[in-house]
Amino acid sequence: MNKIVAVEDLKTWFPIKSGLIQRTIGHVKAVDGVSFNVQRGETLGLVGESGSGKTTVARSILRLVKPTSGKVYFHDIDVTKAKRRKLREVRTKMQIIFQDPYASLDPRQTVNSMLTEAMGIHKVVSTHAEAHGKALQLLEIVGLSEEHLYRFPHEFSGGQRQRIAVARALAVAPEFLILDEPTSFLDVSVQAAVLNLLKDLQKKLGLTYLFITHNLAVVHHMSDRVGVMYLGKVVELAEKDAVFRNHKHPYTFHLMAAIPVPNPEIKKKEVLLTGDVPSPVNVPSGCRFHPRCPWATKRCSVDEPPLYEVGEHLVACHYDIDFETGEVKSERGLKS
Amino acid sequence: MTEFSKSEEDVILEVKNLRLEFHTYRGRVKALNGVNLKLHKREVLSLVGESGCGKSVTALTIINLLPENAEIIGGQILLTGEDLLKKSQDEVRIIRAKRIATVFQDPMTFLNPVLTIGAQLEETFTLDKEGLKQALKFQRAKGNNITYLDFLSLERQSSSKSDDTKASRGDLKKIVKILCADVLKLVKLADPERILKQYPFELSGGMRQRAMIAMALARRPAFFIADEITTALDVTVQAQILHLLRELKDKIGSTTLMITHDLAVAAEIADRIAVMYGGHVVEATETREIFRRPLHPYTQLLMLAIPDATKLVESLATIPGTVPDMINPPPGCPFHPRCPYRMPKCVEKFPETTYSGEDHEVACYLYGG
Amino acid sequence: MSGLIASVFFIVLALTANYIVDPNLATPKGYPDNRYPFEIKYVWNTNNIINWGPGINLYDGPQFFALGTDGWGRDLLKMIILALPVDLENAFIIVAGAAVFGTLLGAFAGYVGGVVDEAVLRVTDIFLAFPGLVLALVFAAMFGRSIPTLRLAILLVWWPPYVRLMRGQILAEKEKTYVEALRALGAGHFRILFKHIIPNAIYPILVQATLDLGGVVLTFSALMFLGFSPTPSLPELGNLASDGYQHIFEAPWLIIFPGLVMLVMALAFNLVGDGLRDVLDPRLRR
Repeated sequence: MNKIVAVEDLKTWFPIKSGLIQRTIGHVKAVDGVSFNVQRGETLGLVGESGSGKTTVARSILRLVKPTSGKVYFHDIDVTKAKRRKLREVRTKMQIIFQDPYASLDPRQTVNSMLTEAMGIHKVVSTHAEAHGKALQLLEIVGLSEEHLYRFPHEFSGGQRQRIAVARALAVAPEFLILDEPTSFLDVSVQAAVLNLLKDLQKKLGLTYLFITHNLAVVHHMSDRVGVMYLGKVVELAEKDAVFRNHKHPYTFHLMAAIPVPNPEIKKKEVLLTGDVPSPVNVPSGCRFHPRCPWATKRCSVDEPPLYEVGEHLVACHYDIDFETGEVKSERGLKS
Repeated sequence: MTEFSKSEEDVILEVKNLRLEFHTYRGRVKALNGVNLKLHKREVLSLVGESGCGKSVTALTIINLLPENAEIIGGQILLTGEDLLKKSQDEVRIIRAKRIATVFQDPMTFLNPVLTIGAQLEETFTLDKEGLKQALKFQRAKGNNITYLDFLSLERQSSSKSDDTKASRGDLKKIVKILCADVLKLVKLADPERILKQYPFELSGGMRQRAMIAMALARRPAFFIADEITTALDVTVQAQILHLLRELKDKIGSTTLMITHDLAVAAEIADRIAVMYGGHVVEATETREIFRRPLHPYTQLLMLAIPDATKLVESLATIPGTVPDMINPPPGCPFHPRCPYRMPKCVEKFPETTYSGEDHEVACYLYGG
Repeated sequence: MSGLIASVFFIVLALTANYIVDPNLATPKGYPDNRYPFEIKYVWNTNNIINWGPGINLYDGPQFFALGTDGWGRDLLKMIILALPVDLENAFIIVAGAAVFGTLLGAFAGYVGGVVDEAVLRVTDIFLAFPGLVLALVFAAMFGRSIPTLRLAILLVWWPPYVRLMRGQILAEKEKTYVEALRALGAGHFRILFKHIIPNAIYPILVQATLDLGGVVLTFSALMFLGFSPTPSLPELGNLASDGYQHIFEAPWLIIFPGLVMLVMALAFNLVGDGLRDVLDPRLRR
């Protein structure tokens, strides 16, 4: 199978408790029915703003939070139902790099300790000498050197810490790596270096990435396919170029229009989204985007669109819209 | 982008050779090493740089919000000709309060969480009693309700004579309430009456930022400082705020010093851009010009390192090395350890600022200096 | 800093006390151990042989007592020195016991959360409500007055703050990203808790423990002062002071000096605790 990870109708809801006896009065529907595949060797980018659920998707895949329903398959193992031992096995194959390089490393551990611990948990090596050798290898792969081995996290810069996090993830020889906003906290020049490293490693080690970010320019640089999330659902999923230049969902259109372009010569038509990013507590009926969508119709407020397949391009919108002119060309999913 | 005057008379704020150090237990951090800036009326000047370059510190020095361990070593901050650094603490406090308004990155920490938006906005307006008296006079003359734009235009008419307008507290309060509602409309906050009664935590991030901008507007300052105001916002909200700022610039001709690490944001909104590195301004010119002809090696590399969604590159250019340690910054030009064009004299002394073409300042030996 | 020096001084003195001063001096001469002598004269300095009472000669030849003597004619300075190991040993044992127990319980409750957490908190609250002295009274009445019983009594009321302290730290630490990272790596709960979370959360505990050393000394001395001492002649700061209390006008030194020593020792430990907090905190904040 070429699919490494398959997510099927994943839902992760967080209960909101209130009152003395902590009754559940509602749910934060962070992820509310998400399905996608990740193919071997590709980078699937997942973009969205706050409240979109993209970070929760990452954590649900790794079972760092417990999904409420749905399935997550790694190869053919259902991660949502795996027992302890199976889960541990799977955990060597799926790893994650977190957003905050200052918080994701234990401040009291040396680099060496971190790497050897990772190796030790999964018994990747059997002797100290082997561990040491492997640690040096890992450091080299991520662009650090032997002198860094016995230092503590606070002695490193943000970019270096992310490299250490990558080395630690690689220590258990994963196939699939989730990158949760790995460069958001880094300076531009450092970001470039880390992104190049990630791309490099992907080629060298044949890794598969799920790259989560809110930065569209970065996702454009890194991904093969891109998925756009809004309020807990995937609203568009296609090849990168299709999403960036031939997008079909109104939200994607607004998202793309909002990206500041570092080129003052390009005069963009000003397209603004009204209102604020909604919260996943009170999800609008029908299509989640309809309260803010300039093309919304009555059907949109009632009938939640599924992910329609337009060739290889998936889009959750009832209408085919030409964003240049703004006219609606056709309607989808009509029961004839 | 609107035209702005480049003449010397239009310089509202000039920073000359500002030097500042922080005393920390690890040593003295040489945060600013001779910063030069010129902010003209009606323009948006964007101060761009990565972490540690000193851009935020520069802004904080201008408004005197420095921590206790900061020491200004030298330089001048000229606000319409007067050197703020030479004035007494009290004088400076008044000047800065009246003439500079700052909007920060995180409105949640800068808005008082226990006061409603209305209370805070009213407080800001009420601080300017003279202005309110004038406003009252204006409104009585005008006949119907004063608008914020009217209020703004009042300042431009200098009234040096002491005002003997009869103004009761109730009258002033009414005026304040009218102005509050109007300024919220100006920042596109729908349903101002309701917003005035809400607390900061009840608003979303974008709305809070607008409220902060409204409070800054209420001060009718000579210019605004915006310190990374869109960094914490989602990209669609950021677009809205940038649009608002552009509108305000057109409508009221505001002057803004905008601090950001995002060159793309600067490209969207700034008339001029000044790039900072290691406590110096290394390049400053018109936005279009700097993108067309980036001169300083750091600027060039920075632009190549930014991923651009309109272009497809195999790998991003990186700048080898790391941002300098400002406790022991490299001698001479702080960029020299990472500069592909490094020359021997770069290590000795920081280059002078020269002009390449009209109005394109750069501090690099490659261009004289 | 001065606290550190003073504390070290006291600790060293306590450790070597039994070698500097002959512990046998603690046993009152000429009197059986548990009988309090009466009609004894208290002396400050004496050049002459004092008549200690009918037919009793405690010392042959003139003696110089730097701090005077107590009711049994023992040199107060020597008694104080002998009292140090008793007090400090108590302090360390009690604090260590309370800290270890409280910390482990707090860590467990904080990490596991849920019903277990609630249960532990309620139990802790109950113990927190106990007045220590009353508990000591009950214990003494039930089990007799011995040092171990008194230690137990104090320990039982001393551990609750540690539970709360540790639990709070654990709750905060638990949410941190590096814990999540470890979980993603496949680390088990034990490893995460003992190898990572607890070492990172332990600093306030250390500070509290250091401060508590002083507190326990005072509490224990208070108990002794109130008369819980297993033997009246036990060299212990509170006990010595208790003697002095009864004869405060004739021999004020008997209460002043033990009290002073207690004060300085508690102060020394407090200063060390404060200093520790200052040293550890900024590093943490960075």
